[in-house]
Amino acid sequence: MNILEIENISHRFSDGTLGIDRINLTIREGEFVVIAGRNGSGKTTFLRHLNGLLLPDTGIVRIAGVPVSEDIVRARQIVGMVFQDSDSQIVGETVYDDVVFGPENLCLDKSEVKKRASEALKSVGLEDFADQRPYLLSGGEKRRLAVAGVLAMKPRVVVFDEPFSNLDYSGTKQVLNQIVSLHNSGHTILVATHDLEKIIALADRLIIMEDGRVVMDGLPEDVIMKVEAFGVREPCALRLGMKIESWLS
Amino acid sequence: MAELTPFSYRPGVSVLHLQDVRFKLVFIVFISIASMKACFMSLSVLSFALFSAILIIHLPFKSILKELRYFFVFLIFVFAARALCTSGTPLIEFMGIDVTLQGMYDGTLVCWRMLLVVLVGLLFVSTTRSSETRAAIEWFLNPFPFIPGKRVATMMSLIVRFIPVIFKQAKETSDAQRARGVENRKNPVYRLMKLAVPLIRRTFESADKLAVAMEARCYSEKRINTKLYANRSDWIALFLVLCLCVLLSVIDMFECLY
Ligand SMILES: Nc1ncnc2c1ncn2[C@@H]1O[C@H](COP(=O)(O)OP(=O)(O)OP(=O)(O)O)[C@@H](O)[C@H]1O
Ligand SMILES: [Mg+2]
Repeated sequence: MNILEIENISHRFSDGTLGIDRINLTIREGEFVVIAGRNGSGKTTFLRHLNGLLLPDTGIVRIAGVPVSEDIVRARQIVGMVFQDSDSQIVGETVYDDVVFGPENLCLDKSEVKKRASEALKSVGLEDFADQRPYLLSGGEKRRLAVAGVLAMKPRVVVFDEPFSNLDYSGTKQVLNQIVSLHNSGHTILVATHDLEKIIALADRLIIMEDGRVVMDGLPEDVIMKVEAFGVREPCALRLGMKIESWLS
Repeated sequence: MAELTPFSYRPGVSVLHLQDVRFKLVFIVFISIASMKACFMSLSVLSFALFSAILIIHLPFKSILKELRYFFVFLIFVFAARALCTSGTPLIEFMGIDVTLQGMYDGTLVCWRMLLVVLVGLLFVSTTRSSETRAAIEWFLNPFPFIPGKRVATMMSLIVRFIPVIFKQAKETSDAQRARGVENRKNPVYRLMKLAVPLIRRTFESADKLAVAMEARCYSEKRINTKLYANRSDWIALFLVLCLCVLLSVIDMFECLY
């Protein structure tokens, strides 16, 4: 089943910049998609159309069959988004407060809110930090907290915008593990990055963007040989003629 | 960053933790007013009450003292200013400045009052979740039809949440400018402008990012908020605090007669 159907969407910002240009894509439920492209190629702009943070000037985005513009709250609940800068994504004054923010917005039952929060914290391994203040967490923990805040909404698609920015090796591995376990539990994963090295071994599909358009789309092993033409660095191992290894092994 | 926030919630299940926040806010108001005019006797009574409260909620005494160390420095200044600037019987003469008996007396009183008010605040903050504070603010603003209570409450809690971020950014910006020799510029106005402009811009930028992130998580004004419940123990506590305040003012009246 296609969870995301994107038909011919374009978006022009108010200052005239063309953010994305006639994008057509369909994404199956449970797929693991990596979107790469140089700075300013339109990755963030594209992802923001998936949950109605931006609406397209032309074209339509359907989530599990329903257009985003028809029910934005539903879109935001199904498509959870983890942003580039976790510091400005965290709303609560304690870790627990932050995780319950989403479910409280959905006006869920009090016991359900509690249940979801503790499940979400457990699945990112932060259950011991519930009363901690978020800005005291490490970079990797912060990013995991951002993931927990999204998971508490019970999304089916989780979108990561530059999930590895500012993270060290162990932080990166924590986040990678998180992404893999989400994928294994049946979530559809979209990751925007220009750092293919870290994630490509895990992906099912690689999409390259350039100037707001999708210029390549296919299996990672087919696409990856040609990425350098679009300002994305080809993983080291490939240049040396080796196979790409997962960072997690 | 930790040192910026000595005042923080400490999870627990003491009487004060379970108290309804609205009552706690009222207590703060009453006690602050009562301590405004308080003299030695009544301050001693109040201190005794507060110290028992601190013992009840098991606040770590040593770490409180450590966290308040800058405040104590501030108190010393206040005390010195009072001691030196109040006229009266000179106690010690030092380089032409008199330290007067009245000044010492005044200074002690002022510092004592400030210390008590800060302790009250500390007790409040360390036993109250911020989400409850928000709900209480909302409740107090409810009777005013022209103030959007929900929005104000959300704004206040976001400001609290943003203070450490702003401090961090201020420090980063000023460090980055010092690294490029801004200290060679002697004009303080120039330096302030150079610091303030990027800082304000960055603060707005991160506020914008936060707004988008909140939107992505379905934020709207129609959401469930923390429910506040008052029970019998809250009313009993209110009664006790009122008694305490009346006692304090009676003591003050008698003391002032002398
Ligand atoms: N609010 C805006 N107003 C005007 N132009 C914008 C706005 N946001 C983005 N743009 C422009 O749209 C283009 C695409 O930006 P976008 O942020 O989507 O790129 P990106 O692929 O996410 O880049 P990066 O890798 O740096 O995150 C850029 O040229 C950018 O300058
Ligand atoms: Mg981006």
